[in-house]
Amino acid sequence: MSSKDKIEVAPSLSDTKDLHKTSSSGEVAIRFDNVVKTFNLYKNDRGRLLGIFNYKTRGAFLGSVNANDGLSFEIKKGEAVAFLGHNGAGKSTALKLITGVAYPSSGTVEVNGRVSALLELQAGFDQQLTGRENIGLRGQILGMSKAEIAELEPKVIEFAELGLYIDQPMKSYSSGMKARLGFAFAVAIEPEILVVDEVLAVGDRAFHRKCIDRIREIMMDENVTVLFVTHSNNTAKEFCSRGIVLDKGKMVFDGSIEDATKFYEENY
Amino acid sequence: MLKTLGTILKDNWEWRGRIANLSLFELRKKSRGAVLSWAWFFIRPAMYIFCFWFALEIGLRAGNANPDAPPYFLWLCAGLIPWFFMQDSINNGCDVLHRYPYLVNKIKFPLSAISSIYEGAQMIIELFLMVALFVIYFACGMGLDIYLLQVPILLLLMYVFWVMFSICFSQLSAISKDVANLIKALGTPIFWLSGVIFNVNDIPIPWLQTILNYNPVTFFTRAFRNAFYDKVWFWEDTSVLVGFVVVFVVQLLLMVVVYKKFNEEVADVL
Repeated sequence: MSSKDKIEVAPSLSDTKDLHKTSSSGEVAIRFDNVVKTFNLYKNDRGRLLGIFNYKTRGAFLGSVNANDGLSFEIKKGEAVAFLGHNGAGKSTALKLITGVAYPSSGTVEVNGRVSALLELQAGFDQQLTGRENIGLRGQILGMSKAEIAELEPKVIEFAELGLYIDQPMKSYSSGMKARLGFAFAVAIEPEILVVDEVLAVGDRAFHRKCIDRIREIMMDENVTVLFVTHSNNTAKEFCSRGIVLDKGKMVFDGSIEDATKFYEENY
Repeated sequence: MLKTLGTILKDNWEWRGRIANLSLFELRKKSRGAVLSWAWFFIRPAMYIFCFWFALEIGLRAGNANPDAPPYFLWLCAGLIPWFFMQDSINNGCDVLHRYPYLVNKIKFPLSAISSIYEGAQMIIELFLMVALFVIYFACGMGLDIYLLQVPILLLLMYVFWVMFSICFSQLSAISKDVANLIKALGTPIFWLSGVIFNVNDIPIPWLQTILNYNPVTFFTRAFRNAFYDKVWFWEDTSVLVGFVVVFVVQLLLMVVVYKKFNEEVADVL
Protein backbone atom coordinates (compact mmCIF):
# COMPACT_ATOMS: atom_id res chain seq x y z
CA MET A 1 0.00 0.00 0.00
CA SER A 2 1.73 3.12 -1.20
CA SER A 3 -0.23 5.76 0.69
CA LYS A 4 1.04 4.34 3.95
CA ASP A 5 4.34 6.17 3.70
CA LYS A 6 2.68 9.43 2.80
CA ILE A 7 0.53 9.62 5.90
CA GLU A 8 1.74 10.36 9.36
CA VAL A 9 1.12 7.63 11.85
CA ALA A 10 1.21 8.50 15.51
CA PRO A 11 3.57 6.23 17.46
CA SER A 12 1.07 4.91 19.95
CA LEU A 13 -2.48 5.35 21.06
CA SER A 14 -1.82 4.28 24.60
CA ASP A 15 -1.00 7.73 25.91
CA THR A 16 -4.42 9.19 25.20
CA LYS A 17 -6.43 10.42 28.12
CA ASP A 18 -8.16 7.94 30.39
CA LEU A 19 -11.65 9.32 29.99
CA HIS A 20 -11.53 8.16 26.43
CA LYS A 21 -12.27 4.70 25.58
CA THR A 22 -8.89 3.19 24.93
CA SER A 23 -9.43 -0.44 25.69
CA SER A 24 -9.38 -2.63 22.67
CA SER A 25 -8.78 -6.25 22.11
CA GLY A 26 -6.56 -7.51 19.36
CA GLU A 27 -9.46 -8.62 17.18
CA VAL A 28 -10.09 -6.73 13.99
CA ALA A 29 -13.58 -5.28 13.68
CA ILE A 30 -13.16 -3.48 10.38
CA ARG A 31 -10.46 -3.80 7.77
CA PHE A 32 -10.22 -1.74 4.59
CA ASP A 33 -7.71 -2.97 2.08
CA ASN A 34 -6.95 -0.57 -0.74
CA VAL A 35 -10.61 0.28 -1.16
CA VAL A 36 -11.68 2.32 -4.15
CA LYS A 37 -15.26 3.44 -4.66
CA THR A 38 -15.97 5.02 -8.00
CA PHE A 39 -19.13 6.84 -8.97
CA ASN A 40 -19.89 7.29 -12.65
CA LEU A 41 -21.61 10.59 -13.24
CA TYR A 42 -23.94 11.23 -16.12
CA LYS A 43 -25.52 14.45 -17.23
CA ASN A 44 -29.03 13.01 -17.15
CA ASP A 45 -30.99 9.79 -16.95
CA ARG A 46 -30.72 9.27 -20.66
CA GLY A 47 -26.97 9.21 -20.33
CA ARG A 48 -27.22 6.67 -17.54
CA LEU A 49 -29.49 4.46 -19.63
CA LEU A 50 -27.01 4.55 -22.49
CA GLY A 51 -24.28 3.88 -19.96
CA ILE A 52 -25.90 0.50 -19.32
CA PHE A 53 -24.77 -0.50 -22.77
CA ASN A 54 -21.30 0.94 -22.16
CA TYR A 55 -22.15 3.58 -24.69
CA LYS A 56 -20.47 6.64 -23.30
CA THR A 57 -21.86 9.38 -25.47
CA ARG A 58 -19.97 12.59 -25.51
CA GLY A 59 -21.54 15.11 -23.20
CA ALA A 60 -23.76 12.64 -21.41
CA PHE A 61 -20.96 10.95 -19.49
CA LEU A 62 -19.41 13.57 -17.27
CA GLY A 63 -16.70 11.43 -15.74
CA SER A 64 -16.00 9.35 -12.67
CA VAL A 65 -15.30 10.41 -9.14
CA ASN A 66 -13.36 8.29 -6.72
CA ALA A 67 -15.19 8.94 -3.46
CA ASN A 68 -12.80 6.58 -1.73
CA ASP A 69 -9.41 6.31 -3.33
CA GLY A 70 -7.19 3.55 -2.05
CA LEU A 71 -8.25 3.54 1.59
CA SER A 72 -6.46 1.08 3.84
CA PHE A 73 -6.88 0.92 7.57
CA GLU A 74 -7.70 -1.45 10.37
CA ILE A 75 -9.97 -0.79 13.32
CA LYS A 76 -9.73 -3.09 16.31
CA LYS A 77 -12.69 -4.30 18.25
CA GLY A 78 -13.51 -1.82 21.01
CA GLU A 79 -11.88 1.23 19.44
CA ALA A 80 -13.65 4.56 19.05
CA VAL A 81 -12.56 6.25 15.86
CA ALA A 82 -13.51 9.65 14.48
CA PHE A 83 -13.56 10.30 10.75
CA LEU A 84 -12.69 13.91 10.06
CA GLY A 85 -12.83 15.71 6.77
CA HIS A 86 -14.79 18.36 4.95
CA ASN A 87 -17.87 17.68 2.82
CA GLY A 88 -17.15 15.30 -0.01
CA ALA A 89 -14.02 13.87 1.56
CA GLY A 90 -15.47 10.36 1.39
CA LYS A 91 -16.49 9.86 5.01
CA SER A 92 -20.08 8.89 4.37
CA THR A 93 -19.09 6.66 1.48
CA ALA A 94 -16.70 4.80 3.77
CA LEU A 95 -19.48 4.37 6.32
CA LYS A 96 -21.83 3.06 3.65
CA LEU A 97 -19.25 0.47 2.70
CA ILE A 98 -18.98 -0.54 6.35
CA THR A 99 -22.73 -0.86 6.78
CA GLY A 100 -22.77 -3.02 3.68
CA VAL A 101 -25.35 -1.13 1.65
CA ALA A 102 -22.75 -0.16 -0.94
CA TYR A 103 -20.00 -2.24 -2.46
CA PRO A 104 -16.41 -1.21 -3.18
CA SER A 105 -15.42 -0.83 -6.84
CA SER A 106 -12.14 -2.53 -6.00
CA GLY A 107 -10.33 -3.65 -2.88
CA THR A 108 -11.90 -5.45 0.05
CA VAL A 109 -13.93 -4.38 3.06
CA GLU A 110 -14.06 -6.79 5.97
CA VAL A 111 -16.53 -6.24 8.80
CA ASN A 112 -16.92 -8.51 11.82
CA GLY A 113 -19.97 -7.90 13.99
CA ARG A 114 -23.49 -6.55 13.88
CA VAL A 115 -23.52 -3.02 12.54
CA SER A 116 -26.06 -0.49 13.71
CA ALA A 117 -25.90 2.64 11.69
CA LEU A 118 -27.16 6.06 12.61
CA LEU A 119 -27.16 7.26 9.04
CA GLU A 120 -29.82 9.84 8.28
CA LEU A 121 -32.12 9.05 11.14
CA GLN A 122 -35.25 10.44 9.56
CA ALA A 123 -34.97 8.16 6.59
CA GLY A 124 -35.34 4.42 6.60
CA PHE A 125 -38.80 4.14 8.06
CA ASP A 126 -41.95 3.07 6.32
CA GLN A 127 -44.20 6.10 6.38
CA GLN A 128 -47.43 4.11 6.15
CA LEU A 129 -46.75 2.05 9.25
CA THR A 130 -46.95 3.24 12.84
CA GLY A 131 -43.91 3.80 15.00
CA ARG A 132 -44.56 0.60 16.89
CA GLU A 133 -44.95 -1.41 13.67
CA ASN A 134 -41.76 0.10 12.33
CA ILE A 135 -39.91 -1.17 15.39
CA GLY A 136 -41.22 -4.66 14.63
CA LEU A 137 -40.43 -4.28 10.94
CA ARG A 138 -36.84 -3.23 11.57
CA GLY A 139 -36.39 -5.96 14.14
CA GLN A 140 -37.54 -8.48 11.59
CA ILE A 141 -35.29 -7.07 8.91
CA LEU A 142 -32.38 -7.55 11.28
CA GLY A 143 -33.49 -11.13 11.81
CA MET A 144 -34.64 -10.92 15.43
CA SER A 145 -37.02 -13.43 16.89
CA LYS A 146 -40.49 -12.47 18.12
CA ALA A 147 -39.28 -12.71 21.73
CA GLU A 148 -36.33 -10.43 21.05
CA ILE A 149 -38.58 -7.87 19.41
CA ALA A 150 -41.03 -8.02 22.31
CA GLU A 151 -38.13 -7.34 24.64
CA LEU A 152 -36.78 -4.52 22.49
CA GLU A 153 -40.03 -2.66 21.90
CA PRO A 154 -40.58 -1.16 25.37
CA LYS A 155 -36.93 -0.07 25.51
CA VAL A 156 -37.22 1.82 22.25
CA ILE A 157 -40.56 3.35 23.14
CA GLU A 158 -39.31 4.47 26.51
CA PHE A 159 -36.22 6.07 25.05
CA ALA A 160 -38.02 7.81 22.20
CA GLU A 161 -40.69 9.38 24.45
CA LEU A 162 -43.23 9.76 21.69
CA GLY A 163 -46.31 9.24 23.87
CA LEU A 164 -49.48 8.47 21.99
CA TYR A 165 -47.78 9.03 18.65
CA ILE A 166 -46.07 5.66 18.83
CA ASP A 167 -49.28 4.13 17.46
CA GLN A 168 -49.77 6.72 14.71
CA PRO A 169 -48.53 6.32 11.13
CA MET A 170 -45.04 7.75 10.74
CA LYS A 171 -46.13 10.16 8.03
CA SER A 172 -47.73 12.21 10.80
CA TYR A 173 -44.41 12.54 12.66
CA SER A 174 -42.27 15.65 12.68
CA SER A 175 -38.67 15.20 11.56
CA GLY A 176 -37.53 15.44 15.18
CA MET A 177 -39.86 12.66 16.19
CA LYS A 178 -38.61 10.42 13.41
CA ALA A 179 -35.05 11.11 14.47
CA ARG A 180 -35.90 10.21 18.06
CA LEU A 181 -37.34 6.89 17.04
CA GLY A 182 -34.43 6.19 14.71
CA PHE A 183 -31.91 6.95 17.38
CA ALA A 184 -33.79 5.00 20.03
CA PHE A 185 -33.86 1.95 17.80
CA ALA A 186 -30.23 2.12 16.78
CA VAL A 187 -28.96 2.29 20.36
CA ALA A 188 -31.42 -0.25 21.76
CA ILE A 189 -30.31 -3.22 19.69
CA GLU A 190 -26.94 -3.50 21.46
CA PRO A 191 -24.79 -3.15 18.38
CA GLU A 192 -21.30 -4.52 18.09
CA ILE A 193 -20.32 -1.77 15.70
CA LEU A 194 -22.04 1.59 16.03
CA VAL A 195 -21.79 4.03 13.15
CA VAL A 196 -22.74 7.60 13.99
CA ASP A 197 -22.98 9.99 11.05
CA GLU A 198 -23.40 13.58 12.26
CA VAL A 199 -26.77 12.91 13.75
CA LEU A 200 -26.29 14.39 17.15
CA ALA A 201 -27.52 17.77 15.99
CA VAL A 202 -31.14 16.65 15.98
CA GLY A 203 -33.71 16.83 18.72
CA ASP A 204 -34.19 19.37 21.45
CA ARG A 205 -31.54 20.02 24.06
CA ALA A 206 -32.84 17.54 26.63
CA PHE A 207 -33.01 14.77 24.07
CA HIS A 208 -29.61 15.72 22.71
CA ARG A 209 -28.16 15.32 26.19
CA LYS A 210 -29.82 11.96 26.54
CA CYS A 211 -28.37 10.80 23.22
CA ILE A 212 -24.86 11.85 24.19
CA ASP A 213 -25.19 10.01 27.49
CA ARG A 214 -26.45 6.90 25.79
CA ILE A 215 -23.64 6.92 23.24
CA ARG A 216 -21.09 7.33 26.01
CA GLU A 217 -22.67 4.43 27.85
CA ILE A 218 -22.41 2.25 24.76
CA MET A 219 -18.82 3.30 24.22
CA MET A 220 -17.83 2.25 27.69
CA ASP A 221 -18.61 -1.30 26.74
CA GLU A 222 -15.26 -2.53 25.57
CA ASN A 223 -16.68 -4.88 22.99
CA VAL A 224 -18.38 -2.16 21.02
CA THR A 225 -16.56 -0.47 18.18
CA VAL A 226 -17.70 3.07 17.46
CA LEU A 227 -17.19 5.06 14.27
CA PHE A 228 -17.98 8.70 14.44
CA VAL A 229 -18.27 11.09 11.55
CA THR A 230 -18.16 14.75 12.35
CA HIS A 231 -16.93 18.20 11.44
CA SER A 232 -16.94 19.26 15.03
CA ASN A 233 -13.64 18.71 16.75
CA ASN A 234 -15.16 18.99 20.19
CA THR A 235 -17.54 16.10 19.72
CA ALA A 236 -14.73 14.06 18.24
CA LYS A 237 -12.47 14.78 21.20
CA GLU A 238 -15.23 14.04 23.64
CA PHE A 239 -15.91 10.57 22.34
CA CYS A 240 -13.01 9.15 20.43
CA SER A 241 -9.45 8.11 21.04
CA ARG A 242 -8.29 7.83 17.46
CA GLY A 243 -8.83 10.08 14.47
CA ILE A 244 -8.62 9.47 10.76
CA VAL A 245 -8.55 12.47 8.45
CA LEU A 246 -9.79 12.03 4.91
CA ASP A 247 -9.31 14.34 1.98
CA LYS A 248 -10.62 13.69 -1.53
CA GLY A 249 -11.12 10.03 -0.74
CA LYS A 250 -7.59 9.50 0.53
CA MET A 251 -6.45 9.03 4.08
CA VAL A 252 -4.09 11.88 4.97
CA PHE A 253 -3.71 11.30 8.70
CA ASP A 254 -4.20 8.47 11.16
CA GLY A 255 -3.33 8.87 14.82
CA SER A 256 -4.50 9.90 18.27
CA ILE A 257 -7.50 12.18 18.38
CA GLU A 258 -5.51 15.18 19.63
CA ASP A 259 -3.03 14.94 16.79
CA ALA A 260 -5.77 14.29 14.29
CA THR A 261 -7.89 17.28 15.25
CA LYS A 262 -4.78 19.44 15.33
CA PHE A 263 -3.79 18.25 11.88
CA TYR A 264 -7.32 18.83 10.61
CA GLU A 265 -7.50 22.36 12.04
CA GLU A 266 -4.11 23.34 10.67
CA ASN A 267 -4.61 21.99 7.19
CA TYR A 268 -8.29 22.52 6.44
CA MET B 1 -23.30 -17.34 -14.19
CA LEU B 2 -23.95 -20.34 -11.95
CA LYS B 3 -22.31 -18.57 -9.04
CA THR B 4 -24.64 -15.58 -9.43
CA LEU B 5 -27.64 -17.86 -9.58
CA GLY B 6 -26.32 -19.62 -6.50
CA THR B 7 -26.07 -16.30 -4.66
CA ILE B 8 -29.66 -15.41 -5.52
CA LEU B 9 -30.94 -18.80 -4.35
CA LYS B 10 -28.80 -18.74 -1.23
CA ASP B 11 -29.93 -15.24 -0.25
CA ASN B 12 -33.56 -16.15 -0.68
CA TRP B 13 -33.17 -19.36 1.27
CA GLU B 14 -31.27 -17.80 4.15
CA TRP B 15 -33.70 -14.92 4.46
CA ARG B 16 -36.85 -16.97 3.94
CA GLY B 17 -38.22 -16.30 7.44
CA ARG B 18 -37.83 -12.57 7.03
CA ILE B 19 -39.24 -12.69 3.51
CA ALA B 20 -42.41 -14.33 4.84
CA ASN B 21 -42.76 -11.85 7.70
CA LEU B 22 -42.13 -8.86 5.50
CA SER B 23 -44.68 -10.11 2.98
CA LEU B 24 -47.29 -9.95 5.72
CA PHE B 25 -46.10 -6.44 6.55
CA GLU B 26 -46.52 -5.45 2.92
CA LEU B 27 -50.14 -6.62 3.03
CA ARG B 28 -50.77 -4.83 6.29
CA LYS B 29 -49.35 -1.67 4.76
CA LYS B 30 -51.53 -2.03 1.67
CA SER B 31 -54.70 -2.53 3.67
CA ARG B 32 -53.92 0.47 5.86
CA GLY B 33 -56.14 3.54 5.80
CA ALA B 34 -59.37 1.88 4.66
CA VAL B 35 -62.16 0.71 6.91
CA LEU B 36 -62.83 -2.31 4.72
CA SER B 37 -59.09 -2.90 4.65
CA TRP B 38 -58.77 -6.59 3.79
CA ALA B 39 -62.04 -6.74 1.88
CA TRP B 40 -60.62 -4.53 -0.87
CA PHE B 41 -58.24 -7.30 -1.90
CA PHE B 42 -61.37 -9.21 -3.01
CA ILE B 43 -63.82 -6.47 -3.98
CA ARG B 44 -61.63 -5.24 -6.79
CA PRO B 45 -61.16 -8.67 -8.44
CA ALA B 46 -64.88 -9.37 -7.96
CA MET B 47 -65.78 -6.19 -9.85
CA TYR B 48 -63.32 -7.06 -12.56
CA ILE B 49 -64.74 -10.55 -12.98
CA PHE B 50 -68.31 -9.24 -13.03
CA CYS B 51 -67.53 -6.68 -15.73
CA PHE B 52 -65.78 -9.20 -17.95
CA TRP B 53 -68.50 -11.76 -17.44
CA PHE B 54 -71.16 -9.17 -18.27
CA ALA B 55 -69.36 -7.84 -21.34
CA LEU B 56 -68.43 -11.24 -22.70
CA GLU B 57 -71.32 -13.51 -21.87
CA ILE B 58 -74.25 -11.06 -21.85
CA GLY B 59 -72.93 -8.40 -24.21
CA LEU B 60 -70.87 -10.25 -26.78
CA ARG B 61 -72.51 -13.65 -26.23
CA ALA B 62 -69.12 -15.30 -26.16
CA GLY B 63 -70.32 -18.04 -23.83
CA ASN B 64 -70.15 -21.67 -24.87
CA ALA B 65 -72.77 -23.01 -27.21
CA ASN B 66 -72.63 -26.52 -25.79
CA PRO B 67 -75.15 -26.75 -22.92
CA ASP B 68 -73.45 -29.86 -21.49
CA ALA B 69 -70.09 -28.16 -20.95
CA PRO B 70 -69.28 -26.60 -17.55
CA PRO B 71 -70.44 -22.98 -17.19
CA TYR B 72 -68.60 -20.25 -19.07
CA PHE B 73 -68.32 -18.32 -15.83
CA LEU B 74 -65.94 -20.97 -14.45
CA TRP B 75 -63.83 -20.79 -17.60
CA LEU B 76 -63.58 -17.03 -17.21
CA CYS B 77 -62.68 -17.15 -13.50
CA ALA B 78 -60.05 -19.86 -13.99
CA GLY B 79 -58.22 -17.47 -16.32
CA LEU B 80 -58.86 -14.14 -14.65
CA ILE B 81 -57.86 -15.18 -11.12
CA PRO B 82 -54.29 -16.15 -12.08
CA TRP B 83 -54.20 -12.99 -14.19
CA PHE B 84 -54.75 -10.79 -11.11
CA PHE B 85 -51.47 -12.04 -9.69
CA MET B 86 -49.66 -11.52 -12.98
CA GLN B 87 -51.22 -8.10 -13.51
CA ASP B 88 -49.79 -6.88 -10.23
CA SER B 89 -46.43 -8.45 -10.99
CA ILE B 90 -46.26 -6.57 -14.26
CA ASN B 91 -47.49 -3.24 -12.91
CA ASN B 92 -45.68 -3.12 -9.57
CA GLY B 93 -43.37 -6.09 -9.48
CA CYS B 94 -41.22 -4.56 -12.19
CA ASP B 95 -40.25 -1.68 -9.93
CA VAL B 96 -40.15 -2.95 -6.34
CA LEU B 97 -36.85 -1.34 -5.41
CA HIS B 98 -38.41 2.11 -5.54
CA ARG B 99 -41.07 0.81 -3.15
CA TYR B 100 -38.55 -0.13 -0.52
CA PRO B 101 -35.76 2.46 -0.74
CA TYR B 102 -34.92 1.91 2.92
CA LEU B 103 -34.10 -1.73 2.29
CA VAL B 104 -31.82 -0.79 -0.59
CA ASN B 105 -29.62 1.95 0.78
CA LYS B 106 -30.17 2.17 4.51
CA ILE B 107 -30.00 -1.42 5.65
CA LYS B 108 -28.04 -4.37 4.35
CA PHE B 109 -30.63 -6.53 2.64
CA PRO B 110 -30.32 -8.80 -0.41
CA LEU B 111 -32.01 -7.03 -3.30
CA SER B 112 -33.35 -10.22 -4.84
CA ALA B 113 -35.24 -10.91 -1.61
CA ILE B 114 -37.16 -7.64 -2.00
CA SER B 115 -38.78 -9.08 -5.13
CA SER B 116 -39.60 -12.25 -3.23
CA ILE B 117 -41.27 -10.17 -0.51
CA TYR B 118 -43.48 -8.28 -2.91
CA GLU B 119 -44.44 -11.33 -4.95
CA GLY B 120 -44.94 -13.24 -1.71
CA ALA B 121 -47.48 -10.67 -0.54
CA GLN B 122 -49.28 -10.95 -3.88
CA MET B 123 -49.19 -14.72 -3.63
CA ILE B 124 -50.93 -14.63 -0.25
CA ILE B 125 -53.79 -12.67 -1.84
CA GLU B 126 -53.74 -15.06 -4.78
CA LEU B 127 -54.11 -18.03 -2.43
CA PHE B 128 -57.26 -16.50 -0.97
CA LEU B 129 -58.56 -15.87 -4.47
CA MET B 130 -57.80 -19.51 -5.27
CA VAL B 131 -60.00 -20.52 -2.35
CA ALA B 132 -62.73 -18.39 -3.91
CA LEU B 133 -62.08 -20.10 -7.24
CA PHE B 134 -62.54 -23.50 -5.61
CA VAL B 135 -65.84 -22.32 -4.12
CA ILE B 136 -66.97 -21.23 -7.60
CA TYR B 137 -65.70 -24.53 -8.98
CA PHE B 138 -67.78 -26.63 -6.60
CA ALA B 139 -70.76 -24.29 -6.96
CA CYS B 140 -70.65 -25.00 -10.69
CA GLY B 141 -71.23 -28.65 -9.87
CA MET B 142 -67.71 -29.87 -10.59
CA GLY B 143 -66.19 -32.63 -8.50
CA LEU B 144 -62.75 -33.37 -7.06
CA ASP B 145 -60.40 -35.07 -9.47
CA ILE B 146 -56.75 -35.77 -10.04
CA TYR B 147 -56.24 -32.83 -12.41
CA LEU B 148 -56.61 -30.39 -9.52
CA LEU B 149 -53.30 -31.70 -8.16
CA GLN B 150 -51.46 -29.52 -10.68
CA VAL B 151 -52.84 -26.32 -9.11
CA PRO B 152 -50.21 -26.04 -6.31
CA ILE B 153 -47.44 -26.85 -8.82
CA LEU B 154 -48.69 -24.13 -11.13
CA LEU B 155 -48.91 -21.62 -8.28
CA LEU B 156 -45.30 -22.35 -7.33
CA LEU B 157 -44.19 -22.09 -10.94
CA MET B 158 -46.06 -18.81 -11.31
CA TYR B 159 -44.40 -17.46 -8.16
CA VAL B 160 -40.91 -18.45 -9.31
CA PHE B 161 -41.36 -17.06 -12.80
CA TRP B 162 -42.66 -13.68 -11.68
CA VAL B 163 -40.04 -13.35 -8.95
CA MET B 164 -37.40 -13.77 -11.66
CA PHE B 165 -39.22 -11.20 -13.75
CA SER B 166 -39.34 -8.82 -10.81
CA ILE B 167 -35.65 -9.23 -9.86
CA CYS B 168 -34.58 -8.62 -13.44
CA PHE B 169 -36.74 -5.60 -14.24
CA SER B 170 -36.59 -3.97 -10.80
CA GLN B 171 -32.85 -3.63 -11.11
CA LEU B 172 -33.15 -2.17 -14.58
CA SER B 173 -35.92 0.15 -13.40
CA ALA B 174 -33.70 1.38 -10.58
CA ILE B 175 -31.06 2.35 -13.13
CA SER B 176 -33.56 3.96 -15.49
CA LYS B 177 -37.19 4.86 -14.98
CA ASP B 178 -37.75 4.19 -18.69
CA VAL B 179 -37.71 0.45 -18.07
CA ALA B 180 -40.48 0.67 -15.47
CA ASN B 181 -42.56 2.84 -17.79
CA LEU B 182 -41.97 0.50 -20.70
CA ILE B 183 -43.09 -2.56 -18.75
CA LYS B 184 -46.16 -0.75 -17.42
CA ALA B 185 -47.05 0.34 -20.94
CA LEU B 186 -46.67 -3.25 -22.09
CA GLY B 187 -49.18 -4.38 -19.45
CA THR B 188 -52.17 -3.73 -21.69
CA PRO B 189 -50.87 -5.56 -24.78
CA ILE B 190 -49.67 -8.44 -22.61
CA PHE B 191 -53.23 -8.83 -21.35
CA TRP B 192 -55.10 -8.48 -24.63
CA LEU B 193 -52.57 -10.51 -26.66
CA SER B 194 -52.80 -13.45 -24.31
CA GLY B 195 -55.40 -16.10 -23.75
CA VAL B 196 -57.02 -14.55 -20.68
CA ILE B 197 -60.38 -13.71 -22.25
CA PHE B 198 -60.32 -15.79 -25.40
CA ASN B 199 -58.93 -19.14 -26.42
CA VAL B 200 -55.75 -18.72 -28.43
CA ASN B 201 -56.42 -22.04 -30.17
CA ASP B 202 -59.60 -20.60 -31.69
CA ILE B 203 -57.61 -18.08 -33.74
CA PRO B 204 -57.66 -19.39 -37.32
CA ILE B 205 -54.15 -18.10 -38.13
CA PRO B 206 -51.51 -20.65 -36.99
CA TRP B 207 -48.48 -18.32 -36.92
CA LEU B 208 -50.41 -15.85 -34.78
CA GLN B 209 -51.25 -18.66 -32.38
CA THR B 210 -47.58 -19.54 -32.13
CA ILE B 211 -46.65 -15.96 -31.28
CA LEU B 212 -49.32 -15.66 -28.59
CA ASN B 213 -48.18 -18.96 -27.10
CA TYR B 214 -44.85 -17.33 -26.28
CA ASN B 215 -46.65 -14.96 -23.92
CA PRO B 216 -46.13 -16.40 -20.42
CA VAL B 217 -49.58 -15.12 -19.42
CA THR B 218 -51.07 -17.39 -22.10
CA PHE B 219 -49.30 -20.37 -20.57
CA PHE B 220 -50.48 -19.74 -17.02
CA THR B 221 -54.11 -18.99 -17.87
CA ARG B 222 -54.24 -22.00 -20.18
CA ALA B 223 -52.65 -24.27 -17.58
CA PHE B 224 -55.09 -23.20 -14.86
CA ARG B 225 -57.99 -23.67 -17.25
CA ASN B 226 -56.67 -27.11 -18.13
CA ALA B 227 -56.76 -27.97 -14.45
CA PHE B 228 -60.15 -26.51 -13.61
CA TYR B 229 -62.10 -26.68 -16.84
CA ASP B 230 -60.69 -28.71 -19.68
CA LYS B 231 -59.17 -31.42 -17.47
CA VAL B 232 -55.84 -31.78 -19.23
CA TRP B 233 -52.34 -31.97 -17.68
CA PHE B 234 -50.41 -28.81 -18.43
CA TRP B 235 -47.46 -30.74 -19.89
CA GLU B 236 -49.76 -32.44 -22.38
CA ASP B 237 -50.67 -29.09 -23.92
CA THR B 238 -47.38 -28.89 -25.79
CA SER B 239 -48.31 -26.02 -28.12
CA VAL B 240 -48.11 -23.52 -25.26
CA LEU B 241 -45.61 -25.42 -23.10
CA VAL B 242 -42.79 -25.10 -25.64
CA GLY B 243 -43.23 -21.33 -25.79
CA PHE B 244 -43.22 -21.07 -22.03
CA VAL B 245 -40.10 -23.20 -21.55
CA VAL B 246 -38.26 -20.94 -23.98
CA VAL B 247 -39.47 -17.78 -22.26
CA PHE B 248 -38.63 -19.24 -18.83
CA VAL B 249 -35.05 -20.03 -19.81
CA VAL B 250 -34.57 -16.63 -21.46
CA GLN B 251 -35.97 -14.90 -18.38
CA LEU B 252 -33.67 -16.91 -16.12
CA LEU B 253 -30.59 -16.03 -18.15
CA LEU B 254 -31.61 -12.40 -18.41
CA MET B 255 -32.13 -12.19 -14.65
CA VAL B 256 -28.70 -13.66 -13.92
CA VAL B 257 -26.97 -11.33 -16.39
CA VAL B 258 -28.78 -8.25 -15.07
CA TYR B 259 -28.21 -9.21 -11.44
CA LYS B 260 -24.53 -9.82 -12.01
CA LYS B 261 -24.04 -6.51 -13.74
CA PHE B 262 -26.21 -4.21 -11.65
CA ASN B 263 -26.73 -5.65 -8.18
CA GLU B 264 -23.83 -3.78 -6.63
CA GLU B 265 -24.56 -0.58 -8.51
CA VAL B 266 -28.23 -0.20 -7.65
CA ALA B 267 -27.71 1.20 -4.14
CA ASP B 268 -25.56 3.99 -5.60
CA VAL B 269 -28.16 5.28 -8.05
CA LEU B 270 -31.47 4.77 -6.28
